[in-house]
Amino acid sequence: MKAYYNIHTIWLVMMLLTISTYAMGKFGYDGIVIMLILLLTSVIKGSFIIRDFMELNGVSLLWRVIMYGWLWIICVAIAIAYIVSV
Amino acid sequence: MSTAIAELKPKLLPGDLALWFFIFMELLVFGIFFIVYSVIRTQNVELFNQYQLTLNRELGAANTLLLITSSYFVIQAVHSIKLNDIKRCINWLCAGLAGGAGFLVLKGFEYYDTFSAGIRLTTNTFYMFYLSLTLFHFLHVILGMVILIAVVIKAKYGAYNAQNYIGVESGASYWHMVDLVWIILFPLVYIIR
Repeated sequence: MKAYYNIHTIWLVMMLLTISTYAMGKFGYDGIVIMLILLLTSVIKGSFIIRDFMELNGVSLLWRVIMYGWLWIICVAIAIAYIVSV
Repeated sequence: MSTAIAELKPKLLPGDLALWFFIFMELLVFGIFFIVYSVIRTQNVELFNQYQLTLNRELGAANTLLLITSSYFVIQAVHSIKLNDIKRCINWLCAGLAGGAGFLVLKGFEYYDTFSAGIRLTTNTFYMFYLSLTLFHFLHVILGMVILIAVVIKAKYGAYNAQNYIGVESGASYWHMVDLVWIILFPLVYIIR
């Protein structure tokens, strides 16, 4: 498992997720489902940064709640605002 | 028994605790910006969708790839210093700085096109948010680079080793925060509609 989950594969996955985000914009995909997919992509990439780049895995629960909480709260708030505007 | 207790204890935050409070404050400010953007957009959906199409998504995506790769280089620097490989740590940090410089250059091209087209903060609500959000982030990239340059200089003078690397971790953590913010900013401003 660890052989596949390392800093190099995480970098590669984040690059691919970024390209997929760009492609969705380039091909003009829009709507609530696409918006949710794009925000979920951001949450996944953000979680990689918090866990594996910032190396916050295993630090006190308070700091993990602060960092992951920030990421989720912002993305959920954006999603709600977009859904309201449809 | 004591080993078991030690294993249960959470590990310490990487880097300086004071810097983490600073990172938290920065994230709060950016978070408020993102939410305000989304709320104001609900009252100007057509305007935001229309002018979002004028942005250069290619440069935005390229900048995202640059920042992620730069963060990847910087975490390699942290791993290198933990192995007491100071030269490699400096090299990785310089590679990370090159990524940051690439970001600034691409953003410079983007701003050149924007300002050449006569677009200003006062042009309309969308451009006000686009310019203020991206310029605010741009300044943070510069600050992150200044911090990394200071870490490189200190590392060259032998300030860090496998026992003392808190400064390298602090600089890296700030740089990752700059990356984290852009991970949300890019789809929010350039893509989602």
